[in-house]
This record gives sequence, structure tokens and C-alpha cells, in this order.
Amino acid sequence: MNGAQHILEAFHRHNINTVFGYPGGCIMPLYDALVDDVGVEHVLCRHEQACALAADGFARASGEIGVCIATSGPGATNLITGVANAYMDSIPMLVITGQVPSGLIGTDAFQETDILGMTLGIVKHSYLVDDAEALPGIMEEAITLAQSGRPGPVWIDIPKDIQLTEIEAPAATTCAQPDPHYPDISEALAMLYSAKRPLLYSGGGVSLARAEDSFRAFANASALPGVVTLKGIGNPGKNHPHSLGMLGMHGSRAANKAVDECDLLFVVGARLDDRATGKLDGFAPNARMIHIDADAAEINKLRPADLALRGDLNRILPAFTEALKAKPLAIADWQKQCRTWHTTGGFQAADNEEALAPITGPAFIRQLSRIAPDDTVIACDVGQHQMWVAQHYEFDHPRHHLTSGGLGTMGFGLPAAIGAQFANRRGTVINVTGDGSFMMNAQELATIRRYNLPLKLIILDNQCLGMVRQQQELFYNNRESHINLDDNPDFVAMARAFDIPALHIERTDQIRRGIETILAYDGPMLLHVAISREENVWPIVKPGASNRDMIDENRRTTTKEYVA
Amino acid sequence: MNPQAQTALPSYTLNCRMNQEAAALERLCQVVRVRGFQISRMSMESADDHLDIALTLSGSRPIAMLRSQLEKLHTVVDVALQEQGASVRSVSV
Repeated sequence: MNGAQHILEAFHRHNINTVFGYPGGCIMPLYDALVDDVGVEHVLCRHEQACALAADGFARASGEIGVCIATSGPGATNLITGVANAYMDSIPMLVITGQVPSGLIGTDAFQETDILGMTLGIVKHSYLVDDAEALPGIMEEAITLAQSGRPGPVWIDIPKDIQLTEIEAPAATTCAQPDPHYPDISEALAMLYSAKRPLLYSGGGVSLARAEDSFRAFANASALPGVVTLKGIGNPGKNHPHSLGMLGMHGSRAANKAVDECDLLFVVGARLDDRATGKLDGFAPNARMIHIDADAAEINKLRPADLALRGDLNRILPAFTEALKAKPLAIADWQKQCRTWHTTGGFQAADNEEALAPITGPAFIRQLSRIAPDDTVIACDVGQHQMWVAQHYEFDHPRHHLTSGGLGTMGFGLPAAIGAQFANRRGTVINVTGDGSFMMNAQELATIRRYNLPLKLIILDNQCLGMVRQQQELFYNNRESHINLDDNPDFVAMARAFDIPALHIERTDQIRRGIETILAYDGPMLLHVAISREENVWPIVKPGASNRDMIDENRRTTTKEYVA
Repeated sequence: MNPQAQTALPSYTLNCRMNQEAAALERLCQVVRVRGFQISRMSMESADDHLDIALTLSGSRPIAMLRSQLEKLHTVVDVALQEQGASVRSVSV
């Protein structure tokens, strides 16, 4: 077998049967090997960035590793945004790029870039293969590394000649698994039992550890009031009695209030990101903190923990669950207080009942949440619509909510939805996007058509970059700067040009029919939803301010004034 | 940059052992820079399968944070801090 065939052999060994890529000069040996391979489905996207983001979406939706492939030079550099996106959200990803032949490296050859050097800061690890015999071991190590501990993207840059070299010894390295052992949680339990107002704070690390079931059992046994980060949405499940929803910049007043008042934060799989905590000085000012995470580097990174437990959530959380089942927490008053806050300060925005009224983002998302099947995967883009989904769509599982949390990548949603659809061939997958984000990877309509994916696309079109416009209005004296998109193309005609049927709605009484029509259609379909240019996401915390200083739709800025 | 402010920053010495790889030094130095530290002195010795790198550096952020970030690098075998600071009680499970 040559190097290219060894790459495919590694895919087979790890049950990798879907990859996203785009061919070119220095990766042609691998594409030649794909011709004879029936076990790997190669999905041809129309831009390398979309290949990486589709691999990301595949990984988020499936829990498996996502794989993307590109050639050297521009192929590799086009991957960078997608790989950075995966890095920021700790998504397991394998990136394969071709490189100019070994002898030409460092000569400024055609389509040569130092992609290893360029990407050091956005990968969990990376390799430039300089010895063909090392390739099988590198493949094995990379695939394992991308998925182990705190997952992340691993990049293998492979010169063209190495792909063509016959390799004699394919001996793959078997990576050792850590010995299972059980944590000593006695001190943490003592802190929990002594707390009067303990609060569960969970993030994307729960899903990264595939610990959703362990977390759900823990949330039920502890009955702790809980807040989630953007990436934690979906845990511990729909309508959990003690869930207060998302905290942070666009979090609920109830969630931020509970963080402000708690005396113990029980942090699970979260990195205390600035969009969630607001100004750190004012974050959970009265609380001690227990921090549970797979990554030692997250402990004490932004806020010192009073106690840290580092390791696999699937081993740590069950230990707490068993203890708390035997001896429940006595926090009834605190639970009652949090439920009251949730009632008065949750995301219970009233739906607009006026049939002829313009559609609002929250009203549309709430109807979508009620109508779409429970196991629908929503892939968002970035902006106001992303926050409306986070606030108003009720998710029952975190793998149903695909969102670019760390990097905030406009253009994520459409390719991520393509990846999710390949992970759930018959499932309902909806890309909820904005007019700005949609245009960043609109070429992928061709990918949807090529594979006849039954994807549903919903564009909430306010004819501007709404989140930027909102912040310019609120924090830059309403001085609008380069946010106008009122010369958008006709999105309905555009979809039809790709042979994708489309529908336009603009009034409240059209929402249900619009949603039901696209969901019932046997194939891809786009719903274009006209919304007001002036609509804002509420509440909002000014970047850099404390979460106490939330601003609501009446421009009031003190949480304590309106959450009783 | 104000040179007086720079000299006032705490100084540390880290001894790092890394596996041999082409980008080892770049990887290490990039993490140091991104995490807010400046290198004032560096020495490296290369053995068959590893590199020993001594870094003298300064920065206003907690050195424990940099150390834990360096330890995350796949090819870093060990990071030893000569001036150890206080740290949280941590239970590795």
C-alpha cells in the first residue's frame, strides 16, 4: 500500500465512513486512492471552509470524529476558519492536507504554504509527515488524540511524494487508555451539603465527554437549580423543573440573577467564557466554586476554584449522583426562589397574536420549536437569530443544537447543517440563519442539491447585520457603520437557481403554514422570513460589563430592579 | 512599551522537556506569547528523542496558567517551574 492507501486504511479501522473535502494538485494521490475505495463516502463541498465546517457539524451531531481534506496552499488556508471554529469549541476533527513534494518544501513552490506554522495556535496537535514509514503511526495517533481528553482538531500535512510512497510496515500504534478509577468526592460533597444556595453551571464539556446521561441523572438526583452556557443548551433536557436556561450576555434575567445570588457554583464542563460570565469581578460574587473539567488548563484559568475535580465526567458525576440519591440536598427554599425568578425573568416573551403583524424573531423561533419534531437538529449561524434560537427554542439534547460558540463564525450554519444531515440521513435538520451569515457560504446550496439532502433552510432576513447594528445603536450612539444589506439578492430566486424550492413569508399568520410546508416537503426547501430591521435581542449585557447590568427592552439596566 | 513597567513584571524560569519534532520550539514559544508572557532568555539542548528547553520569562498573569497550557501540548513531556507559586487544591481523577 502507498501512503494514500494507508490513510484510507486508517479511516476504515476507525469506522470513518464520511469525509468532506475538495481535491487539488498536492492531494491528488489520496483522491486517486478514493476512486477504488467503496467504504468511504467523500462529500464534495464547494469551498474548503465549508468542508471544515461540515466536518465540524458532522462531529457535533454524531459525537464521532469529523474529517476534512484539502490540497496545499489555498486549499489548506481556506480550511483555517473552520479548523479554528472546531478548536474553540473542542470539536474532534481530523484535517488532512496535501503538501508540495518533500524536496520542494521551503522553495516557495506553486501552492506551497507553511500550513503547519500558520495553524499552530488553532490545533490540538499537528504533523508534517517527513517519513513515509511514520504515516500509519501518525494516522493512528492523530485520530485517537483528536477524540481523547478534551477533544480538538488534529492536522496532518502530507507531502505529495509521501502519499505515493509504498510503505512496508503498517504497524499502527495502539494508544493506551487510562486506568479507570473512582474519584474522592467527599470534600466536594461536604461543600454541597453546607451550601444554602448552590447552583449548577454546565457547559459544552458535558457533550464533549459524551456524558449527557450521567449529567441528566446527576441533575435529577441533586435537584440543583441550573444554568447553562450557550454550548450547554439541551442539558439536562426539555422542561427540567430546576433549569433556568442560558446565562450571560444574552442570558435570561433569572439565570444571571441566580448566579449573582448563589453561594456555591458547581461548574461542570465549562470554561467560564467571557460571554457567559460578563465582567469577572462581578461574577458570582458571593460564591465558592467547585470546578469539574477534563482539561487541567481550564482550572483556575479565569477564576480560582475552591476545589477542582479533573477527569472524565462519566466517572465523576455518577459518584455524586449515588451520594445525593442516598442523602438529598435540603435546598427547598432556594429551589422555590429560583423557580420564582424563572417565572418572572425567564424567556417567556409573549407571542404576537396579531395575524397581520410583522414577524418577530422570538415569535418565529417559538413556533418553530413547537412545530418541529423533538429530535430536530438546528444548525445556527451567528448573530441575532443565533441568540433567539438559544433563548426561545426548547432543546431536549445538546446534539440537537449546533452553534458556533467560541469563534462565532458567520457562515457556520449551512455547512454545519450539511454535516449534520450526513450524520442523520433521515432526520430533520434545519439551518436557521440570517441574511448576513447565509451569504458567507451560500455556495453550499449546490452541495445540498448535488446530494439531494432534505435540509430545511430558514433565513431570518432583516436586511442588515443585526447584531452589529444593535450594538451600534446601544453602545455607539446609534451611529450605524457598514451594516446595511438592503441590496441582498432575492433569496427565493437564488434558491430556485440551485433547483431548491423556496417560500417567502412576512406576516405572523403565515408562520405556521410556512414552517409546516418546508417540513412536509420531501427534499431541500428554503423559507425566507422577512423581519424588522430594528428588532433587538433582549436582554443584553454590554461587552465587558457585569451580568448584573443587563439592559432590557425598556433600556433599564439593573437586574435587581425587575427580578423580584 | 514602558521599560520600567516591563522590568517590574514577575520573572520565572521554566524547564521544559519536549519530544523531538520539527515545530517543537515554535509551538512552545507561541503558547508563551499568546498567554501573555515575554521570553528574556532561552537555551535548548537536543538529545536523540527529546529537547530540553530552559526559558526565563516574565508576565503579569499567573505562571501556573502558562504552565498548565504548556503541559497540554502533546509533545511536552514535563514542565518544571523553578519559582513555584501557590496553587488550588486539585484532585486528578
